[in-house]
Amino acid sequence: MAQAQGAQAPDPAQDQTPSLLQVRGLVQRFGGLAAVDGVDLDIRKGQIFSVIGPNGAGKTTVFNVITGIYKPTEGDVIFDGTSIAGMKPDKLVRRGITRTFQNIRLFNNMTVLENVLVGQHIELPTDVISALFRLPNYRRAERKAEQRAIELLGFFGPGMVARKDEYAVNLSYAERRRVEIARALGSKPQMMLLDEPTAGMNDAETSEAVTYIQRLRKEFNLTILLIEHKLQVTMGISDRIAVLDYGKKIAEGVPAEIQRNERVIEAYLGRKAAVE
Amino acid sequence: MATKSPLKVASQTASSAVSTARDWTHETMIAGRPVIWYVTGWRFAIITLIVGVLLPLVPYSAYPDIQSLLVALTSVFIYVMLALGLNVVVGYAGLLDLGYVAFYVIGAYTMASGTFGSLLNFNEKPFSIPTFPFALLLLAGALIAGIFGILLGAPTLRLRGDYLAIVTLGFGEIVPIVFQHIPTFYGSLGMTSTPPPPVNTPFGLLSFTDPLNNAPFYYMALLFAVLVAIGSFALRNSSIGRAWVAIREDETAAESSGVNLVRTKLLAYALGAFVGGVAGVMQAAFVPSVNPVNFQFQISITILAMVVLGGLGSIAGVILGAMILQFLYVYVLQRINDPIHASFLVASNGAPLHFLSNVDFSSLNYLIFGILLVIMILLRPQGLIPDARRKRELKGEGAAQEGVSAIGLLEQEEAGIGIGAAADSLDETEYSGAGSDAQGREG
Repeated sequence: MAQAQGAQAPDPAQDQTPSLLQVRGLVQRFGGLAAVDGVDLDIRKGQIFSVIGPNGAGKTTVFNVITGIYKPTEGDVIFDGTSIAGMKPDKLVRRGITRTFQNIRLFNNMTVLENVLVGQHIELPTDVISALFRLPNYRRAERKAEQRAIELLGFFGPGMVARKDEYAVNLSYAERRRVEIARALGSKPQMMLLDEPTAGMNDAETSEAVTYIQRLRKEFNLTILLIEHKLQVTMGISDRIAVLDYGKKIAEGVPAEIQRNERVIEAYLGRKAAVE
Repeated sequence: MATKSPLKVASQTASSAVSTARDWTHETMIAGRPVIWYVTGWRFAIITLIVGVLLPLVPYSAYPDIQSLLVALTSVFIYVMLALGLNVVVGYAGLLDLGYVAFYVIGAYTMASGTFGSLLNFNEKPFSIPTFPFALLLLAGALIAGIFGILLGAPTLRLRGDYLAIVTLGFGEIVPIVFQHIPTFYGSLGMTSTPPPPVNTPFGLLSFTDPLNNAPFYYMALLFAVLVAIGSFALRNSSIGRAWVAIREDETAAESSGVNLVRTKLLAYALGAFVGGVAGVMQAAFVPSVNPVNFQFQISITILAMVVLGGLGSIAGVILGAMILQFLYVYVLQRINDPIHASFLVASNGAPLHFLSNVDFSSLNYLIFGILLVIMILLRPQGLIPDARRKRELKGEGAAQEGVSAIGLLEQEEAGIGIGAAADSLDETEYSGAGSDAQGREG
């Protein structure tokens, strides 16, 4: 069922859509251990691209290199035609790359609204004079940002808007995830990287998340790079999937191809399962 | 890994739930409202301000000690400024600073140097320098301190917790020692400074040096304390303030939301130091002299204690904390020796507390601060008027939510060190260069 959806979607890899993000020959070593060993990725504009693989396959490391947390040992990351390897996360946000975290990192002692406003940081004046004296242009920008924050929360329905003055620490797990995505949308990104967005969610929450990931692409014109454990999620919504194992890319293709790929089955379920 | 996050949320809640019971600020009623209603937000500000403005009008006949009270409160206001300044760094941005006294010294010496008329060269021969007007020195002291704030901040950007505390501690020690040992500023002799000249006002000539009327200086200190408080408030509710709190809460997430860590942290240091400089200039004009021995490590700790006592990040709390501790020291403790020594429990030989008859209570301030802090940390670690919970509590919602507590700050740092050493960091977010610093609280 899930794979049928994926197969029906046009395969953007085949068309002439330009690349938005390219990872070239990425190697990331920690001491002697190569967590990522020569990975290439090519993500086109408007794609939902998934990176999957068993625990410790290097998915999050790839993710952390792209988002500027690590500087790659070798290789390059090209975004929109320029190298972004080793660029600081806040610079990447200014270039249009935004992210969420696997273990949801909200600002717990801030309200939901404030969390989403922090996401709009680069859109707001940050000089001391305008802040101290509440100059008209500053007040206008703040008001606009607040409206926008409410709109972004509205993406997840009126229920989230109603929670805007709640402290983040008091939210349910699914709500926290939504706020994190709303915050990530604040910087008007071109590309959003989602690190296991359904981790820790039950089936109902997961299928809701799948819906809004698809809506994110449509309503915000986003290109989405997804790291996901649950095959039910990736197979359903990805245009293209890359599979990592032991730091190497062992397969890439549309979901239907990935599902049939023996090396993938082996990596996921073990050799025995593959033989059977 | 997938199940980690809910656990983490649960453990955070547990660790921060040190005291969730509703306390005296809710239970004690004044005119039908709980105490917390009066000491929060604008009501607190307005009530304090009205009392503050009217106080000097109390006549001598009503309270003979009124002039000493004004002198004491002037000093209290200077400490309110210092505490609010430090609150920007420690309370908002979460950067533990144990050397805040350095900026206070720099402000004070700017004032003294600009009015003393001469400094010494390296052969210890005086050379004269012009004197400057007070307003200019105020600005200069603040700016010079602000620059030193950046100089301190820049090398410590990657440090957190214990490491940051040690470096700032060192800085706070170095600056007074430099003033003590280089000849330029008369070393351990110190310098005198000239208070601002009298000002012509519609109410007549206001002198800043008249021992029989301390109101002018009192009002000036009050005005500056209020300005600093308003500035703190404006900044807290701005994009800058949100960025500071975001850094305090989660540096990695803040950076990934577009917050430039370098700029934002340096801004916190610079503005905190700026306020420290203003307070230093005021202090030097008020006393009016400067001496390195008056700017020791204890001052940094006292100011930090004020911030922690009141509630990290909470403007009302920090003001209250500074007022309580400084007023206790400069007024109450200076006056309780005689009443205690004369009381029937102490006075006569053989009275149960006679051993107290030789105790000088005015010198016990650090003992008393220490006891107060211990009590606070045990009973109310989030401070007298905590930051995050106050809005919710005023709405009357039952579930108490901890603000940022002193203990929380420490726990967070410890977690950071622990995780940095953990072996499973491969798949976790962590800065390559910064080692253990990057991971605040993830596990």
